[in-house]
Amino acid sequence: MLTNFFTIALRNLLKHKIFSIINIAGLAIGMAAALLIFQYVRFELSYDKFEAHAADIYRIQMDRYNEGKLSTRWAAGTAGIGPVVKDAFPEVTSLARLYDWRGVMSYQDKEFREENMYFANDGFLPMFSSATTQGSITGALSNVNTAVLTTSAARKYFGSENPIGKNLLLNKKEPFTVTAVVPDPPANTHLKFNILLSWPTWVKWVGDPMTTQWGWDGFFAYIQLRPGADPHQLEKKIPAVIQAKWGEEMKKSKEGIVVHLQSLGNIHLSPNYMLEAEANGDGKAVKFLSIIALFIIAIAWINYINLSTARSIERAKEVGIRKTLGSIRRDLIGQFLFESFLINSFAVILALLLILACLPIFNAVAGQSLNLSMLSTASFWSMLIGIFLVGTVLSGLYPAFVLSSFKPIAVLKGRLATTSHGSLLRQTLVIGQFAASVLLMVGTFTVYRQLNYMQHQDLGVQITQTLVLKGPRVMDSTYDNKLTGFRDEVLRVPGVNSISASTEVPGHKVGWNAGGIKEVGADATKARQYRVIGVDYDFATAFGMHFLAGRNFSRDFRSDTGAVLFNESAVKNMGFNKPEDVLNKRIDFWGKQYTIVGVVSNHHQESLRESYDAHIFRLIPDANTYYSLKLTGSRDSWPATITAVKTQYKSFFPGNPFDYFFLDDRFAEQYKADQQFGETFGIFAGLAIFVSCLGLLGLAAFVTNQRTKEIGIRKIAGASVGNILSLLTRDFMRPVLLSFLIAIPLTWYALEKWLDNYAFRISLTPLLFIGPALLILAIALLTVTTQTLKAANTNPARSLRTE
Amino acid sequence: MIKITELQKTYRTEEVETIALNKLSFEVKEGEFVSVMGPSGCGKSTLLNILGLLDDPDGGSFLFNGIEVAHFNERKRADLRKRNIGFVFQSFNLIDELTVFENVELPLIYLGVKGPERKQRVEKVLDKMQIMHRRNHYPQQLSGGQQQRVAVARAVVNNPKLILADEPTGNLDSSNGNEVMTLLTDLNEQGTTIIMVTHSEHDSRYSHRIIRMLDGQTVTENILI
Repeated sequence: MLTNFFTIALRNLLKHKIFSIINIAGLAIGMAAALLIFQYVRFELSYDKFEAHAADIYRIQMDRYNEGKLSTRWAAGTAGIGPVVKDAFPEVTSLARLYDWRGVMSYQDKEFREENMYFANDGFLPMFSSATTQGSITGALSNVNTAVLTTSAARKYFGSENPIGKNLLLNKKEPFTVTAVVPDPPANTHLKFNILLSWPTWVKWVGDPMTTQWGWDGFFAYIQLRPGADPHQLEKKIPAVIQAKWGEEMKKSKEGIVVHLQSLGNIHLSPNYMLEAEANGDGKAVKFLSIIALFIIAIAWINYINLSTARSIERAKEVGIRKTLGSIRRDLIGQFLFESFLINSFAVILALLLILACLPIFNAVAGQSLNLSMLSTASFWSMLIGIFLVGTVLSGLYPAFVLSSFKPIAVLKGRLATTSHGSLLRQTLVIGQFAASVLLMVGTFTVYRQLNYMQHQDLGVQITQTLVLKGPRVMDSTYDNKLTGFRDEVLRVPGVNSISASTEVPGHKVGWNAGGIKEVGADATKARQYRVIGVDYDFATAFGMHFLAGRNFSRDFRSDTGAVLFNESAVKNMGFNKPEDVLNKRIDFWGKQYTIVGVVSNHHQESLRESYDAHIFRLIPDANTYYSLKLTGSRDSWPATITAVKTQYKSFFPGNPFDYFFLDDRFAEQYKADQQFGETFGIFAGLAIFVSCLGLLGLAAFVTNQRTKEIGIRKIAGASVGNILSLLTRDFMRPVLLSFLIAIPLTWYALEKWLDNYAFRISLTPLLFIGPALLILAIALLTVTTQTLKAANTNPARSLRTE
Repeated sequence: MIKITELQKTYRTEEVETIALNKLSFEVKEGEFVSVMGPSGCGKSTLLNILGLLDDPDGGSFLFNGIEVAHFNERKRADLRKRNIGFVFQSFNLIDELTVFENVELPLIYLGVKGPERKQRVEKVLDKMQIMHRRNHYPQQLSGGQQQRVAVARAVVNNPKLILADEPTGNLDSSNGNEVMTLLTDLNEQGTTIIMVTHSEHDSRYSHRIIRMLDGQTVTENILI
């Protein structure tokens, strides 16, 4: 029986090549697209889940409140929170603490700037990484001045030498003895480190109390719970402990702390909190791409259902014959499901070939690093088999039921009426397909408009023509003089217009968060948190910042060492409305007093996803994090300038690697994920529309063919080609137009949700919908017209004779 | 072999009720060759559907080899049909995507006959119908007469007790038509019961008896031999 099913299915496929190609190509494109997206989604969802104790590990995420209002949300919370929670609750079996540290690490003549380096307590390695390649994790971080390296870091410094027991020098000063080497963290972890420095070293530097207090943020705390312990119950018990420990102190300044336990596996797709170890993935993008994947595959399945049921009349005779020969309905359902199985099998093969061919393109567009090794993973194959089986049954079942229900004699005598029921279903499915296409197309346009908007807004600071050098970490007591000398020499380099030193440059969140700042004399409850940027005298001018009131720091005022600048948001944060109102006001900043001498406009420190922060600019003329050089001339001339600057840097700051970046490039990197999302979204939206049109083409070809006789009669009755064309086209365009009505409110809602991600966003206008809708309409019209035009031009005498 | 008593069938649409069979009764004995004649719409096809167990009657009795089959379910009807009944249609009704051999083989597949035996039986019947040389051709590659011979071959390959023929020569020229009628007569002479619906007086003369119908009822019965 199966051989017979196979034979007839194969011959049917070969006989109706166009339909077969549409079905198989549509399904294959749908499958390949869905599989690629699902692999990306699976990777995003796999973050940190590989850890042996992932289910029991939670990060303590901390929110700070001022007068009951949420002020800041931290990934790395206050110093004391970890030990307080660990000590208070027996269900917390261990605590891992991390503190981000940067510096220049060296071994003999090898020196590298390390930016993925943390102080880690001895609870960290057992919780996160049980394996070592060299040394032992037991006690590896228990003593002062010890370090654990990853395999790559060990190779970088020691080559093939055994690193255990050897010393690395931090900033050419502090030695760290290597106690263990651990494997490199995989790509799907949010905690990517190269070097771990022992926590006791940190305690030695800052003193134990500094690692237990409640006002100093930036400390990652991960806790492991006893298996079976309820994190929600624990979360509910923590406020009482915080209250008992710090309640009185916090009450004085009307501050508050609320902590949440973030499951390790959920961190990567959570929102970005302050001081994340790395930028998190975009949960909404993952969700949107998953929806696209489902849309594409569903559109392909709909094509199959539509074309199979549309072609049912052709298959009706066979059904009638088989029934008269003794076939029961179940056999026929089996046969048509088998055909669906066969078509889906061909589509699977084609989909695999498409994946092989398109993987590099997908990786380039989506910024992924999927490789062929995914073909050897169980998850890939289970996904493929899942799509295959669901597709076979879902797309095969309805046609199978329709076809197997035909009355044999009626169909054999050619009395099969085309049911309005079947055509209604097809129209409904076409409406669904095009509604999805409209959503994707408008979505693509909106994503691009938003991206374009973000990239072309005035940032409030000049970031072009700016070369940023990373400041030296290896320094001595002569640093101030060296900086002056370096500044003078650099200004002599042709092509350098200005140089300014700062603790931050635009392009990422300001790391220095200072709480407890208030106007001198104000009540303690007025204390607020601000993001602080240390700048020299020339920073505001070099970056083109706009003064709303007052003035810039000036070397002419010796008192400016005690001066600060506010931005507009900081003015509001302090409770003032107009910039002028804060001029010459004095503020309390961690026990010292500063005078506000100027107010600048808000600038976009980060991408336009983020709203303006309250910034205080403090005068730190010898800031050593970044030196920003404003360059003249074109990019072509810059390599020579950079070489000259490097020579000076190396001469003034020996022992420091010369690292630099262009500020506009760095700023644009913030949009890389959005750009990739936009491109991925656009390509898959295009594919979805293509597959929809394939289906429409098939349907148009079939239906116009079916209406040959009607067209002939109409032409004999006097209808022109134009009349026929409009008659046929109208019928096809109706569901497409109807789909717009359904899609527009849904799309509006979905896009509003997506745009909510952005602090600065475009507003949705009817124009955003009209353009894509017209484009889809035009594509659909073109698709249908290729078929209807052919039918309308057929000689009626011939079409009637055919009938 | 077949005994129908007061068989009734009514078709209803939203607006119209059509009585297709109106208390129709007759009997067909084993080995008989019976023609059913009558104008269009007299209920011939409905009768053929019910006799072929492709449709249910609304009332009355239908005994097939002494067993009441009027209210058999689909599975039982299909089972009885594939073992006992062969069909020949005016428009041949061969499956275009299958070769001559595969078309004739189909009933045996549904009967669960094993491959080698199927081959043997199909070849035997193709040989008998003189179309063995066309075994690998598709229906479109054959003349109407050849197609109908394939259809007859398919109808008899499982040695049915009854053949239901619905205007078997309707689409054939007289020479091919006579050939098909000769085939049916030969089969009848070998013991197969045949009930044939026809408009052709010429064809009806091959049968033993003619049942003439009008408005769902038998009006006359003519015995020819």
